[in-house]
Amino acid sequence: MKRWALLATVLSLVALATVPTPARAQAKDTLTVALVSHAPTLDPHMHFERVGILVNINMFDSLIHRNTKLEFEPSLATSWKPLSDTQWEFKLRKGVRFHNGETMSGEDVKYSFDRVLDQTKKSPQYGNIRAIKDVRVVNPETVHIFTDKPFPLLLERLVFFPIVPKKHVETVGDQAFGTTSPVGTGPWKFVEWKRDQFIRLEAFDQHWRGRPAFKHLVIRAIPEIATQVAEIKTGGVDIIRNVSADLVPELKTHPQAYISSTPILRVHYVELDMRSAPFDKKAVRQAANYAIDKQTIIQKLMAGLGRQAATTVQPMAFGFDPEVKPYAYDPKKAKELLAQAGYPNGVDITLHSAFIEFRPVFEALSQMLTEVGIRTNPRMWDPGPAWNKFLQTEGKATNGYYGSWGNYSVFDADAVLHPLYHTEPGGWIGKWYTRIEGLDRLIDEARSTVDQPRRKRTYSQIQQMIREEAPAIFLWTQFDTLAISKKVQYAARGDEWLWLFDAKPAAR
Amino acid sequence: MLTLLARRVVRLVVVLAGVSLVTFAILHVSGDPVSLMMPEAPEADRAALRQAMGFNDPLALQFGRFVRNIARGDFGQSFFHREPALPLVLHRMPTTLLLAVLAMGLSLGVAVPVGILSAVRRNSLFDHGATFAVFLGTSMPVFWTGIMLILLLAVQLRVLPVSGWESWAALVLPTLTLATFSTPLLLRIVRSSMLDVINLDYVRTARAKGVSEWFVICRHALINAALPLVTVAGLQFGLLLGGAVITETVFAVPGVGRLIVGAIRQLDFPIVQAGVFLLALIVVLVNFAVDMLYIYLNPQIRVR
Repeated sequence: MKRWALLATVLSLVALATVPTPARAQAKDTLTVALVSHAPTLDPHMHFERVGILVNINMFDSLIHRNTKLEFEPSLATSWKPLSDTQWEFKLRKGVRFHNGETMSGEDVKYSFDRVLDQTKKSPQYGNIRAIKDVRVVNPETVHIFTDKPFPLLLERLVFFPIVPKKHVETVGDQAFGTTSPVGTGPWKFVEWKRDQFIRLEAFDQHWRGRPAFKHLVIRAIPEIATQVAEIKTGGVDIIRNVSADLVPELKTHPQAYISSTPILRVHYVELDMRSAPFDKKAVRQAANYAIDKQTIIQKLMAGLGRQAATTVQPMAFGFDPEVKPYAYDPKKAKELLAQAGYPNGVDITLHSAFIEFRPVFEALSQMLTEVGIRTNPRMWDPGPAWNKFLQTEGKATNGYYGSWGNYSVFDADAVLHPLYHTEPGGWIGKWYTRIEGLDRLIDEARSTVDQPRRKRTYSQIQQMIREEAPAIFLWTQFDTLAISKKVQYAARGDEWLWLFDAKPAAR
Repeated sequence: MLTLLARRVVRLVVVLAGVSLVTFAILHVSGDPVSLMMPEAPEADRAALRQAMGFNDPLALQFGRFVRNIARGDFGQSFFHREPALPLVLHRMPTTLLLAVLAMGLSLGVAVPVGILSAVRRNSLFDHGATFAVFLGTSMPVFWTGIMLILLLAVQLRVLPVSGWESWAALVLPTLTLATFSTPLLLRIVRSSMLDVINLDYVRTARAKGVSEWFVICRHALINAALPLVTVAGLQFGLLLGGAVITETVFAVPGVGRLIVGAIRQLDFPIVQAGVFLLALIVVLVNFAVDMLYIYLNPQIRVR
């Protein structure tokens, strides 16, 4: 018996050492948000996870901010102008304090850019700003940014480029900065981070915009969406994101929650392999576009949360041309085009997808294609290494695959056209599947100048070309759907940001 | 006795070597980790990283390097977290172990009394009912059981928190979910071991001597169940550690299983290797302990 008592005591001690990490302030002044995971570090320059960005934007400011209408707004920079094709001037806001009391100045701005541009630091965001050659501090309130070539995306990239405190980071070191003492100028300051559990933040009294409405912000890591939904229903969490269409009806009518949904930059398409039959023929590609009843799919399978797209350039991106119209649903025309192309009895193809949440949509559109004679075998994949290899490294996703593109949150047509269609190595689709005469040249032209009107014209040209050539079945832009507790007032944003400074307790 | 010990230790080392080899081989065959680390980077950058991380060396060389390092306790740097892999895994290990131990404790706590009662009242309503209920638990996938329990106990009845690991109450649902998985086998073992001996001569002798029925059961009959129970419990513990992976994901528990699942998706080799290796080590150690317990429970084994 004594042996069991000893064992029991040892186990209890072990248990005590591991469990209770109690008490988050589950009070009216606490806002709790659920994400599927946390980024590996709180250092905003050393990761490229969306979940990390969502936390970072609340703790750090960038030079430029976007308002709810997605227009540029002064943030740490109060004004900016181009001095030449490759030089920009930014005037900085005075009297901005970091969470540790220090004042922000041009030195911190330069330091922030330098640490990402410094290749020895291996920042995953280096690729985003590699066009920046140098940052010079003219005086504590003015910086000049030099790019090596005209870089039309500069302002876009600066919307998420957090400024970090030079002295503090140099004192505590990069490692500690990302784990135990992240310091920024944002509306919330760091309190605690329990790995895989929660990040606790507190309102920063001296934030230059003023104090946020909530005193505490807790960001929990809950990997399973069903669990997140259960938490919203019981009040354990106030905001969840990425609510899929099938969960929308029950949350819309739940007494304690509501849905907020808005179109975002993500566009869906079925990219077609132009190297081989039948999609080497334009008529067949166009037929595929006429075959899909996009409106019905959006209404019935996506709870109405989508908007038809004419090409892969999204309506909210700079360069979008509203004159380019989406393909209508016309199965008769599709059959005619197929016959013209030499397939009067139809043709057999295979389509691939790793987009699990949109599986019903994928199967529905395969069915629609089959109905006009493009007999489709829909193949679902598990997203992961095998799929990536198949799609990107080996270019084997014939005859096409269902994909989506988020533009890296850059509201510019270049951010979809270049990565997708350019044939230079590193382009996703252009590397293997798309071959359109003259497209490369036009894309290069549009990105090598900062003359916006001229770029707009080139992008119109490109969109017309793409629509005509139909390298993809163009589908729709996606919505971002949040489920929010009725105790909180907040609205989803078109850039998918959780800008929690705007969240307020609901008026009773 | 010493040869017995030595044999067991050799077995331990062989199993661990096998586990690391298999983990290493599978991970390297399933894809290119660099394209997961930098999916949207130009090929030139990726090739450079591949070279720097030694992925271009022959596999045998990479494995040799791996074995040399783990002998020193170095499982490498996690690609995703950019920190040494072993401490990341060790930090979360107590949580997973606690969950597994509690689930095993609950399983045994249910399996033993219910098994005894089922054996004593064999073929009664209680017996059939208990068997049915418990097999229902094992037939349902852990994932589903977990979510159903959340919906019932947390959302409908509001008696427990939905998820997390921040209070004693939060431990209940994950433990319950895992325990439904391992209880049935243990229960059947208790029941059948008891039935084997309950009418044998030596038990009848004890009854004839005037010993009370319950004492007969617990002291004489139950001890027969001890050996198989302990064996299976040891093996089940390994399964529980595996089941903890899913349970941790559903209940947002900050354990090793959840870490490993994320690492597999991201092809974060060092974490998967460190995690799987450590879990294998624990399972082998637990079964080693079971072997030792055997010897204590059944002196006849010592002779062989």
